[in-house]
Amino acid sequence: MTAATNDIILSVRGLATHFRTHGGTVRAVQGVSFDIRRGRTFALVGESGCGKSVTALSIMRLIPTPPGTIAAGRIELHGRDLLKVNDAQMRSVRGNEIAMIFQEPMTSLNPVFTIGDQIVEAIMLHQKKSRRHAWVEAEKLLARVGIPDPGQRVREYPHQMSGGMRQRVMIAMAISCKPSLLIADEPTTALDVTTQAQILDLLDDLQQVEGMSILLITHDLGVVAERADDVAVMYASKIAETGATEALLAQPLHPYTQGLLRSLPRMGVAADRLAVIPGSVPDPREFPSGCKFHPRCPIGCDDPRCSSLEPELRQVSEGRQVSCWYSPGFETPEESQDFDRRYGRDKRKSPSA
Amino acid sequence: MTVYIVRRLLYTIPIVFGVLLITFLLFNVVGGDVAGLIAGKNASPELQAEIRHEYGLDKPLIWGWDSQFVDHFKNAITFNFGKSWHDREPIIDKIKRGAGPSLSLTVPMFIGEILIAISLALIVAYLRGTWIDTVTVLLCVGGLSLPFLSFILAGQYFLAYKLGWFPVFFWPNLSTPQYVALPVLIGIVAGLGSGVRFYRTVMLDEMRNDYVRTAFAKGLAARKVLFKHVLKNAMIPIITQTVLTIPFLFLGSLLLERFFGIPGLGYLMVEAIGSRDFQVINAMTYIGALLFVVFNLITDICYALVDPRISLE
Amino acid sequence: MSETAVTTPVSVSKGRSLWSDAVKRLLAGRAAVISAIVILIYVLVTLFIYAAEFGSSRFGWGIPLTNYNEKVGSEYEPPSWKHPFGTDYKGRSVLRKTFYGARTSITVAFLASLISIAIGVPVGAMAGYFRGFVDEIVVWLYTTLSSIPYILLILAFALVLKDRSISLPWPGAPTFRLAGIASVYLAMGLTSWVGLCRLIRGETIKHRDREYILAARSYGCGRARIIFKHLLPNVFHLVIINFSLQFVGFIQAEVILSFLGLGEKDKPSWGAMIDDARLTLTRGFWWEMAAATLAIFVISLALNVFGDRLRDALDPKLRTE
Repeated sequence: MTAATNDIILSVRGLATHFRTHGGTVRAVQGVSFDIRRGRTFALVGESGCGKSVTALSIMRLIPTPPGTIAAGRIELHGRDLLKVNDAQMRSVRGNEIAMIFQEPMTSLNPVFTIGDQIVEAIMLHQKKSRRHAWVEAEKLLARVGIPDPGQRVREYPHQMSGGMRQRVMIAMAISCKPSLLIADEPTTALDVTTQAQILDLLDDLQQVEGMSILLITHDLGVVAERADDVAVMYASKIAETGATEALLAQPLHPYTQGLLRSLPRMGVAADRLAVIPGSVPDPREFPSGCKFHPRCPIGCDDPRCSSLEPELRQVSEGRQVSCWYSPGFETPEESQDFDRRYGRDKRKSPSA
Repeated sequence: MTVYIVRRLLYTIPIVFGVLLITFLLFNVVGGDVAGLIAGKNASPELQAEIRHEYGLDKPLIWGWDSQFVDHFKNAITFNFGKSWHDREPIIDKIKRGAGPSLSLTVPMFIGEILIAISLALIVAYLRGTWIDTVTVLLCVGGLSLPFLSFILAGQYFLAYKLGWFPVFFWPNLSTPQYVALPVLIGIVAGLGSGVRFYRTVMLDEMRNDYVRTAFAKGLAARKVLFKHVLKNAMIPIITQTVLTIPFLFLGSLLLERFFGIPGLGYLMVEAIGSRDFQVINAMTYIGALLFVVFNLITDICYALVDPRISLE
Repeated sequence: MSETAVTTPVSVSKGRSLWSDAVKRLLAGRAAVISAIVILIYVLVTLFIYAAEFGSSRFGWGIPLTNYNEKVGSEYEPPSWKHPFGTDYKGRSVLRKTFYGARTSITVAFLASLISIAIGVPVGAMAGYFRGFVDEIVVWLYTTLSSIPYILLILAFALVLKDRSISLPWPGAPTFRLAGIASVYLAMGLTSWVGLCRLIRGETIKHRDREYILAARSYGCGRARIIFKHLLPNVFHLVIINFSLQFVGFIQAEVILSFLGLGEKDKPSWGAMIDDARLTLTRGFWWEMAAATLAIFVISLALNVFGDRLRDALDPKLRTE
């Protein structure tokens, strides 16, 4: 994919975020790299605790720095490394070039200020508008996100609204300064199914009209399939594989993704038990050695290399990256010979289908 | 709103009734025949009988229209507290006299304490996680572990007696600011430990909320987030806490008045303890409770005014 | 790809109860351990003095450390190697008086706590469980009591109970004469049960509609059994937290009451020591006040720190894993 037609607005390279706890250092995010293109929705999917929210917060540099630090990496927004700018510059990025909405609409708004106040605050922070102008703008934004009777609502308090409406308010606040990127951290998890669909439709609509990119954090593969253009699968602080959604779901390259997809019930397929990935997600303070997935991997669980050497994220074909020794096209010939020499040819597994 | 106030006022009636019941039980029933105490150790039976009559102690305890029980309530409603045992002065006069000095001590202390403690707490919350925060917490816990008595004694000794910066005792010809300066200072410093710790906890609790993260995500600076978003929410528990301490202002600070000889209500009470004057303590207990009940209501109203989520229906 | 299920060794973490978890977390911090040791020292001193007193009255032991009344030097001797805290106006060892003061304070605080728990917990549990009329009365009672400013309430109780003889209402019953210190801990206990009662009542109300109580009732548990065996263990951690927080308050209150003359007259107490010091400070005799202040400060600090750590360890909302 050439950079000219699908230009990259956000490029993450080798991001690592650590937290210091009394149980030891928790490496919540390690070596995460991906690109988000203009006008496209990029989904970051994984189980709870895999590090996807931390990744999103790291991009915004909203990680609380007494226990946390962004240990390494580059985050380039329109070519500028956000990890190197000072506080004031970062503040002018937040809410302005990159905006974020969160999972809990019920508690994400300040209960003692009207929603008009809160939207106006965002507008006046980044744009040179008068207060009156900003209030007018706020009303327009509420209408834009589909809130009925915006003139009345803008003067109301958050507790007077339902969860779905509050999330719309959050979105209104987020798009008020026309950001290039909207980060949505599980925006619909706390909402009921009907409202979920409405919110996701709204996001789609905004993307079409404003040309805004969306980084969608979710654990729901169904949402990914429906709404995301590109996707990265995360497991235990690392990225397992990336690619365009259709291609990745049709042909998953990493055993973890394969396991996830296999565990989804399918229409028209007879089964008496749902397949599961055995074992459970590892404790971030005690990650396994080598590939973090290997204890649960049907291929790598007894492979000597998988348990000792961690595969890095590599591009194996156009637009597809994966981190698994046994993915087709991953291993270089030198590495293959090295394996034979060390462990013997017979120990080698066959790649996953 | 008015319906709410009326309803609350009605609820205070059984409470005040309860308070009077308790004071009656305490002072008249358990206290028993106090004529002996009033008259003094070597009083003759005739003197005791006289005193008994004067104080209405020869009336039946509970039954009958003219019983002590009914008197107790009648007196409370008319604010007729009778005479002090100590010097036969009407207690109501003593109270009126003592209120002024007490307030001139406690009001500056209250205001100063709140302003300083909240400011310090805001600063410390802003610097959360740094060494300044840790040291402050340690100082606070240390401060509130030191006995108040020692603060007063030390303050009086060093700042007034030794260094002579303040007068050691109250004298009638001293102006008010002169004689309250040191006690107010001591009171504020002694109270900072628990005050800052409380306000800091309130701030930190508020800062844990999701709306703080949203505020940062909008691009607001930490100072704005703290002073605008967090503070307004924190005001709710803060107001609840501080309005409730206002009744205590009237009662004066017993210990400070005792040490510095300030002739306020606190001093009155300490004297009453020394001379075992039930009457005075009885009266003060009633007044204290009354004030508390009234300010409880005011607190609820303030609370409703500050928090838009509460409607007074 | 293998068809059989992959048997990876999956670690099973041992079930951890609230208590073992709490104790483990509590003891992990240095501050908690140090303050626990300090508290233990004070308690041991108290017990030691009781043992010594018992021993000397029964067996005639004469343990110098507990004999606070003995004249060990001249009046108002400043601290020295011989008398680490100096002597008071009667030539008695301030060190011994300070130790004795610990006994007074710890005893009073302990007894007051006992009374407070003995009243607060059952009353709160009953009010929360039975609701209705019983609840109304209890709420009215504790609202009334808490409407009276705490200091005043304690003062009132202590004043009235001082030197009083309590005779029980039925004929022929013995008459109790309240010793000086009894008025103090009775006053504190009888007024402080309110906070605990409120807490327990609130928790009981929350728990009584939970399924496990319903289950207990369904297989025929009587009400008393439900309250004591099922409900109380679940609210017990609140009792512990409340106990540790109130203990400091009692010690500080006893100091003030003794200072005002309401406490123990003839036996040493820290409050009385500070009262004595008030008059002699101007003559330069600072050690008695310093000793009492130091003793109070250390135990208060230890209790505050330990109480905080205890609350952190026991508060289920703070449990993360």
